[in-house]
Amino acid sequence: MSILWEKHGVRLYNPEKACEGYTLVDPFTSRDVWLMDMKGNYVHRWVLPSSPRNHGVILPNGHLLYATAEPLPPDTSDLSVPRIGSWGIGMGLVEVDWESNVVWKYVDKVQSHSFHRMKNGNTIFPRVIPVPDDMARRLKGGIPKTEDRGIIWTDGLHEVTPDGKIAWEWSAVDHLLDPDYHTLCPLEPRGDFTHMNSVEELPDGNILVGFRNIDTICIIEKPSGKVTWQWGRGEVSHQHYPNMLDNGNILLFDNGVHRKNDSLITYSRGVEVNPETNKIEWEYVADPPQSFYAALISGCQRFPNGNTLICEGPRGRVFEVTKDGEKVWEYLNPFYATHLSVGKQPSILPWRHSNALFRAYRYPPDFPGLKGKELNPEKLEWVNRIYGPAAYKN
Amino acid sequence: MSITQNVSPDIHYNEVKAYNGYTLLTAAGAKDVYLVDTKGQAVHTWKMPAEVGAPGVLLPNGNLLCAVRTPEEMLTDLEGGVGKLLEVDWDGKVVWQYEDPYMHHHFYRLPNGNTMLLRWVPTPKDVVLKVSGGLPNTEREGAMWSDSLREISPAGEIVWEWLGYEHLNTEVDIVCPLCFRSEWTHANSFVVAPSGDILISFMKTNSIAIINKETGNIDWRWGGFLRLGHPHDVCWLDDESVTVLGCGGHMSGFEMGNSEVLRIDLKSSDIVWEYTEVPVLRFYTALKGSLQRLPNGNTLVCEGDTGRVFELTEGKEIVWEFVNPFYHPSPAYGKNNNILLGAYRYGSDYGGLKGNVGIAEKVKPVPEKKAQTRAEKGASPKGEEALKERLANLGY
Repeated sequence: MSILWEKHGVRLYNPEKACEGYTLVDPFTSRDVWLMDMKGNYVHRWVLPSSPRNHGVILPNGHLLYATAEPLPPDTSDLSVPRIGSWGIGMGLVEVDWESNVVWKYVDKVQSHSFHRMKNGNTIFPRVIPVPDDMARRLKGGIPKTEDRGIIWTDGLHEVTPDGKIAWEWSAVDHLLDPDYHTLCPLEPRGDFTHMNSVEELPDGNILVGFRNIDTICIIEKPSGKVTWQWGRGEVSHQHYPNMLDNGNILLFDNGVHRKNDSLITYSRGVEVNPETNKIEWEYVADPPQSFYAALISGCQRFPNGNTLICEGPRGRVFEVTKDGEKVWEYLNPFYATHLSVGKQPSILPWRHSNALFRAYRYPPDFPGLKGKELNPEKLEWVNRIYGPAAYKN
Repeated sequence: MSITQNVSPDIHYNEVKAYNGYTLLTAAGAKDVYLVDTKGQAVHTWKMPAEVGAPGVLLPNGNLLCAVRTPEEMLTDLEGGVGKLLEVDWDGKVVWQYEDPYMHHHFYRLPNGNTMLLRWVPTPKDVVLKVSGGLPNTEREGAMWSDSLREISPAGEIVWEWLGYEHLNTEVDIVCPLCFRSEWTHANSFVVAPSGDILISFMKTNSIAIINKETGNIDWRWGGFLRLGHPHDVCWLDDESVTVLGCGGHMSGFEMGNSEVLRIDLKSSDIVWEYTEVPVLRFYTALKGSLQRLPNGNTLVCEGDTGRVFELTEGKEIVWEFVNPFYHPSPAYGKNNNILLGAYRYGSDYGGLKGNVGIAEKVKPVPEKKAQTRAEKGASPKGEEALKERLANLGY
């Protein structure tokens, strides 16, 4: 274990330039979710019945909505449950109130990665579905002979109402996958062909999704399901969390895994692309580039003042940069834990003693969901003493 | 020659378990090569005439062997190229040099006084057609470069040459599917055994190999697609096993984003020892690194990309850890960073650090200094004395 630990907590804060608000710290491996102020004081804590696995968001109603996960059942003969790395597959969605009481739940054992609470109160989420044999035979790429017990999995969407009815669905098989065009990255398993890791409802009601393994983000028209725009192949590599900005551009985290480059270094980027022109209008790369690299998870969030919050997920680092790439805030998650499923699934090495964060979100002080809530660091005095700014003062 | 105060407090040193000595740091973008002590203080620097491009080593004769970049280099886009190999004395005076615009990555001074170097050669077209893997149509202006080893005498005569394309196997040595076909192997390090055989690491074919000096054949090979991710340094442990630093780039599954140190048994080809960090993603260098087996049985690992050097016991305990505080702009790798091309440790009694020619006349009487704890027994008091004098001489 490295002796020279980096400084944890908030280790950089430029109050003149950073965008004020509360940051949701959602450790991938633990059952706690924290809300933190700009200086690094923890002002609220949720304790969840299971680890979030992916991430939680604070809703405008003040509740925390998150995706759950369970270890895979030991019975590998159940072909309805995908066994493809399995770290992204959840069991469903849970909404808890400020005191961590469960107020809503939806169970879907193939729900994966992410979700979005829509304007109409429904929730939309990706789910893993099998590719029919006739199409599966024609799909190219990936590491040979790595289907999951003969199955190639892809993704679909379900939109569910608060009382659990499926209001709309979508399938990559019907609307996206083109075996002559969508070839899988040569270093990914064929069982996990598309790997949808993000979904967002756009202001116009259409849906923005991202597929990691085919380096593609796309906009799906509702209700027809038609893919009206796709981008990413040859531009980004295994991206996460495309989200639309006020100016209509799309911000995403370009992980850079399996990049088809010859410089042999690995690096991540924050990228903003204009869907009208398909041109990248902003990007952030670190100096040196390889000092900012997230093989998995991660995301970017744009603030009204033009800054971008970047979460370098696996290393638990969140930082905020200006448009010119100047770092004005930085945090390193001090909460380490071993993921509950490690030991049951030996492949999940990164989550052994990890401080990873799937994504990080910052909420402005006037966010409706925080209205009337007590955000006083005093109530978590004991946590702040050990993990707050006072603990990391030199 | 100058003394620089260590500006970084980032050091951990277990005096009992760490190998006592001095660590030679070759920093990317620098013209200086640094020697730091176990407390991280720089005790000596060599000023090279140009930017360094490959890890420097301290020779038993006390000179520094290091390579620099030159404008004459022919393949600057292939990464790792150097144009001039220099041997400089303790004061930085060039005592030997060799120029070749196709050299890259690594060198070795043989016991017979010759130097082995790595260089690029174009691969014959009929061989290129049989080399599989890599991204399609990514040859470099139509050519694929492969690696060659060349042994040169001090006078610069070519004494021995090994052409990779004559001995590599197109069925087995397959280019990583995400790399360009501008090169077949992209060798980045090698060491020569007393027998003359060469242990070499090939980044693009994800393998390490032993080349038989007499026949040129590849007697042993290990690694391959999904087994080893872009190795970046190898060292002999003894006759029975070798150690490799697997960077971990372009790997699959959860092996992406972390590096590992693997020890492989030469007879069984089994992994008999391995090191990954906890948390696993903390140890990662995509591009640069070095490994060294120390006389006390520990392993010195240089995590090049982060400028971090650490010493591991067999029990995988870190007993020395240090972060390079010397930042330089290095156009090849970034704007301003502390990337290390290599780090090697030399005990105080190492030939190269004992009293040396040209120093004797500068020796002045020095006050008695407290002896340092020594992990290694049998070091000659004479050597330590001479070193103390040399260092005191420098005002340290």
